[in-house]
Amino acid sequence: MSVNEIIEHALKGEILPRSVQIFGPEIALCLTILALLFVRMFEIHRRLPTNLVALLGALIAFLGVFSQFMYVKGGSEIPAMMALFQAWGLTPEGVGEVGPYFTGLLVHDQFSVFFRLGLCLFLVLMIALTVLSGIPDSEDGQDFYTLLIGSSVGMMLACGANHLLTLFLAVEMMSVPSYAMVAFQKGRRQASEAALKYVIYGAGAAGVMLYGLSLVAGVLGTASMPELAAQVSTAFAGGSFVLTNPVAVTLALGILMVLAGLAFKLSLVPFHFWCPDAFEGAAAEVGGFLSVASKAGAFALLVRFCIALTGNPDPSLAGLNLSLGIGLGVAAAVTATFGNLAAYSQKNMKRLLAYSTIAHAGYMLMAVSALVIIRGANPSGVPGLTSAGLDAEARRCLEALLYYLAVYLFMNLGAFAIVALIRNQIFSEEIEDYRGLAGEAPVLCVCMLICLFSLVGLPPLGGFWAKLEIFASLFQAGRVHWFMWVVLGIAAVNTVFSLFYYMRVLKSMFLTERPVGARSALVPFRSAPGLYVVMVSVPVLLLGVLAGPLSQTANNVARILLR
Amino acid sequence: MSPEIYSEVGSLLKWLLTAAWLLPLLGFLVEIFGGYWADRKSKVPAYLAVGCIATGFLLSLIALGTWVDAADMNLWAFESAGHSAEHGEGAEHGDDHEHATVAEHDHADAHDEEHHEHASADEHHGNDPLKTAFSGTFYRLGKFGRLDVTLDWYIDGLTVAMFAMVTLIASCIHIFAIGYMSDELTEHYEDHFVHLPGGRHFHRPGRFYRFFAYLSLFCFSMLGLVLAGNIFQVFIFWELVGVCSYLLIGFYVERHSASTAANKAFIMNRVGDFGFLIGLMVIWTWFGVFQFANTDPAHADQAGLFQMVRTHDGTLVTEGEGMEKTVSLQHIEGEARPSSIPYWLLTVAGLGIFAGCIGKSAQFPLQTWLPDAMEGPTPVSALVHSATMVAAGVYLAARFYPMFTPEVLLVIAYVGCITLFIGATIALVVTDIKRVLAYSTISQLGYMMLALGVGGWIAGLFHLITHAFFKSLMFLCSGSVIHGCHHEQEMTKMGGLYKKMPITCWTMFVGVVAICGLAIPFVTLPAIGAVAFSGFHSKDAIIASALTFSSLNPVHSLLFYVPLITAGITAFYMFRMWFMTFFGKPKDHHVYDHAHESPTVMTAPLLILSFFAIFVAVGGEAGPLVTLYGAAEPAHVAMGATDAGNIGLNLPSHEQIHNFHAQAGMAALLVAFAGTLLAYLFYASGAVDPGTVKRQFESVHEFLVDKWRFDVLYDWMWQRPVHVVASWCTAFDKYVLDGLIHGSASSVVKIAQWDRKFDEAVVDRSVNVLGEVTMSVANWFRGLQTGQLRQYVMLIAVSVVSLFVLVFIFFPGQ
Repeated sequence: MSVNEIIEHALKGEILPRSVQIFGPEIALCLTILALLFVRMFEIHRRLPTNLVALLGALIAFLGVFSQFMYVKGGSEIPAMMALFQAWGLTPEGVGEVGPYFTGLLVHDQFSVFFRLGLCLFLVLMIALTVLSGIPDSEDGQDFYTLLIGSSVGMMLACGANHLLTLFLAVEMMSVPSYAMVAFQKGRRQASEAALKYVIYGAGAAGVMLYGLSLVAGVLGTASMPELAAQVSTAFAGGSFVLTNPVAVTLALGILMVLAGLAFKLSLVPFHFWCPDAFEGAAAEVGGFLSVASKAGAFALLVRFCIALTGNPDPSLAGLNLSLGIGLGVAAAVTATFGNLAAYSQKNMKRLLAYSTIAHAGYMLMAVSALVIIRGANPSGVPGLTSAGLDAEARRCLEALLYYLAVYLFMNLGAFAIVALIRNQIFSEEIEDYRGLAGEAPVLCVCMLICLFSLVGLPPLGGFWAKLEIFASLFQAGRVHWFMWVVLGIAAVNTVFSLFYYMRVLKSMFLTERPVGARSALVPFRSAPGLYVVMVSVPVLLLGVLAGPLSQTANNVARILLR
Repeated sequence: MSPEIYSEVGSLLKWLLTAAWLLPLLGFLVEIFGGYWADRKSKVPAYLAVGCIATGFLLSLIALGTWVDAADMNLWAFESAGHSAEHGEGAEHGDDHEHATVAEHDHADAHDEEHHEHASADEHHGNDPLKTAFSGTFYRLGKFGRLDVTLDWYIDGLTVAMFAMVTLIASCIHIFAIGYMSDELTEHYEDHFVHLPGGRHFHRPGRFYRFFAYLSLFCFSMLGLVLAGNIFQVFIFWELVGVCSYLLIGFYVERHSASTAANKAFIMNRVGDFGFLIGLMVIWTWFGVFQFANTDPAHADQAGLFQMVRTHDGTLVTEGEGMEKTVSLQHIEGEARPSSIPYWLLTVAGLGIFAGCIGKSAQFPLQTWLPDAMEGPTPVSALVHSATMVAAGVYLAARFYPMFTPEVLLVIAYVGCITLFIGATIALVVTDIKRVLAYSTISQLGYMMLALGVGGWIAGLFHLITHAFFKSLMFLCSGSVIHGCHHEQEMTKMGGLYKKMPITCWTMFVGVVAICGLAIPFVTLPAIGAVAFSGFHSKDAIIASALTFSSLNPVHSLLFYVPLITAGITAFYMFRMWFMTFFGKPKDHHVYDHAHESPTVMTAPLLILSFFAIFVAVGGEAGPLVTLYGAAEPAHVAMGATDAGNIGLNLPSHEQIHNFHAQAGMAALLVAFAGTLLAYLFYASGAVDPGTVKRQFESVHEFLVDKWRFDVLYDWMWQRPVHVVASWCTAFDKYVLDGLIHGSASSVVKIAQWDRKFDEAVVDRSVNVLGEVTMSVANWFRGLQTGQLRQYVMLIAVSVVSLFVLVFIFFPGQ
């Protein structure tokens, strides 16, 4: 389909209203960017602060995605939501219909709506945090929010990627603004240096990934993801996935390179080197954004890519699935172990959280590897599991990942937000300077405790269920291939490791005296920052106590995606 | 009564009495919470409490009228010439006129011959209490197996009479307490009876509101007990009144004596309640029903306890002999319940329930808590420990009467007989004005129990109600004296107070005359009978029942002589108290000089109560009171029994009691006058010096002052053995168990020392090595992160290439 044809089709055909309808929230975000720039250009930002414009735009986009979510979930008949549905012009033929849009470049389904909802919620919370911590001042607010929102639009594209080209575009669109955001504190030498490293590293990874994409597309003859699996079968043409098959080797190389690009975004070992430097150099708010949102976008891409590759019922290709799954499992185990071990000796809180982010990416990757392993399994080859049982287990894996991401959104954002708020008080991010803070800012410290305990995975917090679900899916995957049990063992040991370095932070906060002469950090409960951190921490508690509704929703999303 | 009328009247009665019952609870809640936050000098809690209970009284009166109307009863029948309401049911059945003349003459006149002729004729008809009773269910708590645990109501003549009595007396006492407790209306109450080190007294905020809150809670519990329609519900409220009693006795909780007395009362009641629980278990197991009776024609198939044990005319249907004897249960259709209960188990159930009554009514051998309970404020003594709560035991025994076998009745009679004698004799020597009344209460409760035991159901309850009025009157009088004498309770320091407090003196006189049972001999009014206060009628009825019983069962003739003599003792100690308090020379001038009459708010209740103490029993056993609650008399009582039970007891019928009535009345009156005369000689005229008599009977006096040494006995019987056993247990603990534990502990310590060495050398070492290795790995990782951009970019290339090499190495082979 040539460009002309596409334009012809898009303008004249019935397809445009549906695509626009689905793409509404993204359009709203783009308009917000425009509004921000206009506000600055016409010098009305003193009367209309840019952060309010950004917050408003993000809220509108959030409501848009939320109405899509409810529409897709509950249908058009929810009385309380009718006004919202009408405002966004949702129709059964538009949003109500699941499937590709924009000529198949993007896909609209429950999975993408779920991720977009999370991203928009995160964007709203993020902007609220920057309002509280005041990291972009009123003069350059429009720049910061433009970058932030632009990057978010990229991530939302990533969630719906249905084409290898969109995949690449999305990765770049979420990466490029984040390079600039890392460097945002212009005066700091460290920030500029971190940004430079990040840019160069990113450029290298993008190059590798693009090469990989061209190899895959070249071998398979298509770049549309739903067709990949079928094309793999065709390309192999009866041959099997072995070393002597040149198609197989080329394909493997291509997949490896694509995964290397994604691994850069996910900061998996050995593509993680940028992460601690970038996090330390950037402001804590940006760190939070990179660790949660860009990771969520990258995981959405990874899941879509893996599912596109493994959707093949041809048993001769089981080797491809198995290799891919085990490879991911190895990467996950190494990443988690490395992240946890390296976090041990960190003295800077942001660096510690950077390594903790690496470790958590490892845990979440375990769920993806379990998913790939189970989907590639031959039902007759697994004792005690039927075909339906395998499907259920695959859903469980994806459910675990989605649940983990949802909890991770709150607990990691909470941790980074508290770091930022403490920095505003004591002008330091060293763990040593946190000593005895519990006496002065109890609400921050208690919320930090909730977030860190949840990161460890202690009950009754959300992190516990998230980890438990991942471990359970690993266990089930171990019935398909024993290696997953090894990964499970490593994950369990890692959980114990992680306890210590999180505990070290809490120990210095709660169990040591505040040194004489230290800067005081008085954040009362009844202040905007106090309420903000409580608002972010309460969902962590709630998701630990009431795991049912979210896991039900996640399971539903998984069911439709894997159908 | 047709079902429509039944349900109409029943629901009206239910709502009236439920409102009267729940109002004090509402009052309690408002008072306890409102009082806590409000001003401690406010009298509002008192007005609220009075308002609640007085409204309750009005509602009870309306209920009483409604019930009388529904039962189609003429309470004033005895006034219409030639017609009689002899047994209460007489008005309904409208039979023999001769009894009317008997009723009019029997106290004063010579014995009338014609009774014998009608005695046998009278045995054919019994009273049917269920015909005039209303029952129903408030709320079903749950069903456990076949047992339905419900909140029921049961309303008959006895219920409405008790409601009216309790609410009336409680209203008077509430009003009296406004004056009596007024020194609690302060932020800084100084308790002169609590001595702190350094000769100071204890200071605390006043607790006026709390007192009235407790009183309201008590009223709620007491009314709930009376309204309860099943034995389990009775037990619940039984415990609730116990709690209220505990709270009120311990009202001055800082006083050691008060808190000890509260504990004693509570614990001794638990002993009785243990028996109660056993009774409940037997009933649950064998009947599976707790309801007293089900009189609702709409649910005629669900029989209550009374309907199961006795037939319609009150007969106990038994089979077999001795231990094999069983009682057939009525009204049981095709269910998996046993249709009969062993006779001895029914006896055990009855004794168990009666054990609860022993505790609550302070009967022998659990009587010792009641005198100590006088530590509570005097209005409490008047309300809880004389008029209502302690009478609840008698009430329950009367209510549960159909379930009692003759053996149980005999036990009741003897327990009552022993109690009344012990109580009266101790009262002879006590010098604390409130304790005299307390022992007198024990003694009078013994009379009531005795009456129930010897088959005088009517007489026992008659005395319950008259006693409630005159004893609460006397307690309030003593309260007035104590208030006027600034909390002096020793009679040895009083004397000559009649000039200072005339109203108290003469209202007290009414009470004393009433309890002694004095009457003007040989004078009879045409429609009313003997000229006497209430106590005369009721005590007379008891003595008559006892005399009849002992003449039918000569073996048990003690059951007549002891109460008869005690009637004389009663007159003696009551007049002793009155003379010592109000007459003679003032013995302590400090007390005398500061004594004063109480304010109107305290004397007005005295006047009201003395009115009732005089007139409540007007008409005697033919009067409206007996007619009213007599309708609730169990069916089998009126005709008596011959050779009943395993022990062959003869129970008197109404007719037989009448035959002995005049004879008994004369004897009782004679003894009472003798006692009064003696008291006059001892304490008023000074003809006999009490001191000399005391010296002559030194040992007896001391025995009585020591309260028959019951406290010492219980100390030896229970406390000391428990202490001994406890010391054995301690020794066992100390030497055997602790020895074992210490031994094992020291061996554990030894093992632990070894283990520690092992730990340090092996386990810790290995963990440390692991930790060091981890740390060095971590440091190595840190070293990898050089921050050199060149290296990073190179690493991307190296990583991809090396990963690709790895993929090739592990690529699946052919």
